[in-house]
Amino acid sequence: MSTASRQFVQRAAVKAADLEHRATIERNIQTYDAAVARGRLRFADWEAARNACEAIKAEAICHLDRYLEQFEKNITARGAHVFWAEDAAQADAYVATLVKQRGVKTVVKSKSMATEEIHLSAALEKAGATVWETDLGEFIVQLRDEPPYHIVTPAMHLTRYQIRDLFREKLGADVPDADPQKLVAVARVALRRAFFSAEMGISGANFLVADAGMVALSTNEGNGRLTTTLPRLHVVVAGIEKIVPRLADLALLWPVLAAAGTGQPITTYSTLIGGPRCADEPDGPEELHVVLLDNGRTNLLTAPETAEVLRCIRCGACLNMCPVYRQVGGHAYGTTYPGPIGSIFTPRTVEMREWGHMAYACSLCTACKSVCPVKIDLPKQLLLVRRDFVAAGDVKPAENVGFRGFRWVVESARRFAAGGWLLRKSQAVVRALGFSRSPLDPMYVWTKYRAPMPVPRQSFRAWWRQHGRQ
Amino acid sequence: MTAMPRKVALFVPCFVDQVVPQAAVDALTVLRRIGCEVIFPADQTCCGQPAFNSGHWSEARPCAERFVRVFGDSECVVAPSGSCVSMVRTHYPDLLPVGPLRDDAIALGQRTYELTEFLVRIAGVNDVGASFPHSVTYHASCHATRELGIYREPLELLAHVRGLELRPLPAEGDCCGFGGVFSVKFGAVSAAMGDTKLANVDSTGAEYVTSIDPSCLMHLEGVIGATKRKVRPIYLGSILAQQQEAAQ
Amino acid sequence: MAGNSSGARERILARIRDAAVRSGGADLIDTPLKPTAGLSGPADVLAGIFPPIGDARARFLTECASNLMEAMETADAAASAAALVTVLNSLPEGELYVQDVPVLRSLIERATIAQPVRWSSQGAPAASTQVSLTLAHAFVAQTGSILISSQCGGRGASIVAPCHIVYGTGVQVVPDIAAALALAQAKGLTEASYAGLISGSSRTADIEKILVQGAHGPRRLVVIIED
Repeated sequence: MSTASRQFVQRAAVKAADLEHRATIERNIQTYDAAVARGRLRFADWEAARNACEAIKAEAICHLDRYLEQFEKNITARGAHVFWAEDAAQADAYVATLVKQRGVKTVVKSKSMATEEIHLSAALEKAGATVWETDLGEFIVQLRDEPPYHIVTPAMHLTRYQIRDLFREKLGADVPDADPQKLVAVARVALRRAFFSAEMGISGANFLVADAGMVALSTNEGNGRLTTTLPRLHVVVAGIEKIVPRLADLALLWPVLAAAGTGQPITTYSTLIGGPRCADEPDGPEELHVVLLDNGRTNLLTAPETAEVLRCIRCGACLNMCPVYRQVGGHAYGTTYPGPIGSIFTPRTVEMREWGHMAYACSLCTACKSVCPVKIDLPKQLLLVRRDFVAAGDVKPAENVGFRGFRWVVESARRFAAGGWLLRKSQAVVRALGFSRSPLDPMYVWTKYRAPMPVPRQSFRAWWRQHGRQ
Repeated sequence: MTAMPRKVALFVPCFVDQVVPQAAVDALTVLRRIGCEVIFPADQTCCGQPAFNSGHWSEARPCAERFVRVFGDSECVVAPSGSCVSMVRTHYPDLLPVGPLRDDAIALGQRTYELTEFLVRIAGVNDVGASFPHSVTYHASCHATRELGIYREPLELLAHVRGLELRPLPAEGDCCGFGGVFSVKFGAVSAAMGDTKLANVDSTGAEYVTSIDPSCLMHLEGVIGATKRKVRPIYLGSILAQQQEAAQ
Repeated sequence: MAGNSSGARERILARIRDAAVRSGGADLIDTPLKPTAGLSGPADVLAGIFPPIGDARARFLTECASNLMEAMETADAAASAAALVTVLNSLPEGELYVQDVPVLRSLIERATIAQPVRWSSQGAPAASTQVSLTLAHAFVAQTGSILISSQCGGRGASIVAPCHIVYGTGVQVVPDIAAALALAQAKGLTEASYAGLISGSSRTADIEKILVQGAHGPRRLVVIIED
């Protein structure tokens, strides 16, 4: 078992027992569910929308190389620089070098999972810059020195009182009644100073539009706009799979992203950046750098069956629907991307041995599949990770032995019947000895959390032999 | 609607056979009551789902092969379980390599049914003469509802059970937390999910919680016992098997 | 610039191409990409996905309201000037930043304004700017959005000041996002360094999922629609 695996199981158990945490998440999820239900009403045919989004992204991934080249050509024609990074180290080094060469002291960041993935903030702080997260949720978890809890709502796990206390401690700003409006105002003032003094703004991208050569960025707060307007340098870090073929595709993807992610008709600021400022414009960055990040994404293309994972538009719906995520929350996973998509993406793009266990933290309920706007068969992909995890020999040896034993037993009806008989008899003994629900019970993995299973007098097949025939 | 087959082969999931056999006995009772001739091919063991779900596909494939061999000649196969039928219908095509065995498995999957699916869609029956004068709430299990599209059939059957008061379950489609190997690999989370599901069940005040998946009920029964709740789990086929004066 | 990444570029592209070949899609490499014209492709797909818009102007006004935007309908330039003054008088003291374009020059001339005016031709808006006034390229009925670009007085004009006023006419209303994006491509807005849809005031629900208006962008977005 990898360290990450052991930690995950431990953290998950702790979170599962934390009823207050469960209640907070439940409240947030209910608000989300209600908003999403309202949002669906804006579609005459949600299923058709999903099919169309799947088709758009499938096409993008199918011709990923050529759309990336088209994007690069069109955006560099307007003066942007495009840097291709095979991994986190290359991406971090590029941006860190920019920081040093351009004398950047302050960086403002709009929310970007890709920058979390490559730990960019740490790299830039090492290069001598102060980095401010400007998405309110990200700003909050940054002050707490925590990773984001959820890819769309980073501070979902916190109450207003916790946030008030945080602002009092870290910003010296007191909001006694913890009114959310006033808390937001505090953050606005603090971050405005950062926006106006920063030399570099970093954003992610929701989509990279190939035919227009533009970076599409969606935010509700406006931090994405300020980040990409005020500083003289703008850096975009985006996974290569963010490509979409045409600007016209956004007519569908923008409303669908908003509907699945938050239940809105469209995100408030749906921004398109085509390059650094033009000569006749009064403001805007002097330089635009787009970092195209591979970092294991091309691993998903090495087999046709896993390519669909790259269709993901990072809406967060699968997380919100996942009953396991609802129980344990985002931090338990210990990765940039949690939940169903993260449990596939991380083992595949980072390392199977270290992260394959994530795919087992799933009851295969398939709720995620039913909501994915680009129709990724997430349960199937999770099963494929499990298959490959086992095939790579990363499973505990005892488990391998166990399943070979299972196979031996089920290959013969007599052995199967005998095995079942043994199970029933041993359970009866365990019960008689009072070992039930203790570590001495062979079924402790079951009975630790549940009352013991009933012990029937006989199996069905035995009953059938005696009574079954008409 | 296809003509009702005379002969039905009963596919009894491994854990039902060994741990909760009453579910199969009751399914058998109901099938006979509506006029089916039911046989139990004793050579069956396990459909392979535990191995498949754990990623041990090379241990699951022999199970699939065996299943196709044991049931291949059956006109019709019925199981008291949504998840096991889903294994055959939805996942055997993923598990097996392209070839004749896989073709046979796919064809067999098309005539392998969960009990309520068989009763309503194939036999065309929604009243099996059952009587169960109790309040009941229905848990819409994951594999059945989302993988097999079985939802209205169990409800139709319950609607015709004399004396039964059906109470809608909030978040009825939410997972109970069993998930096969998940229940032991992530026992704490699994039990917590069961607890959340049972809190919803409690809110209905129903005496019984039912489902077409005995595996869900087995897990819920365990959590009920551990949390000392009063509600009783009962397999839907067992409700259907109940007749006048036979209430538990 | 720092770091020549062409080695990485070729390796990444090679990994993608190798994958296509390996998955038996070699023929896909040479099939032409789908056309870039705005309205082909997804637009036909869109029919049936969204309900029909109906009366676009009415829909725009309804959506504005749910977006917590303020829409002011006016009959002529004089009324628009009066509407502008009403809004300006409700704001605290501070600079008014205006997109330097003849239509707005004449609107400002008509109105009696207390605030000092700074034109976009003079440079970027200051941090202390209280209100900005710009045109828009279109009003989008489907989502109550304004289509704007850096040609509307730059980027900051629609995000820096706590209040943003947009001045436009009824004929600028288009039914949906598809039409807005097609317009953007037709008008060459994709050659501007920034274009976008703005669909309300700045807001956040990051605290307990409670909606709060006025995060980093304008708290008020006012649209003056003249017929």
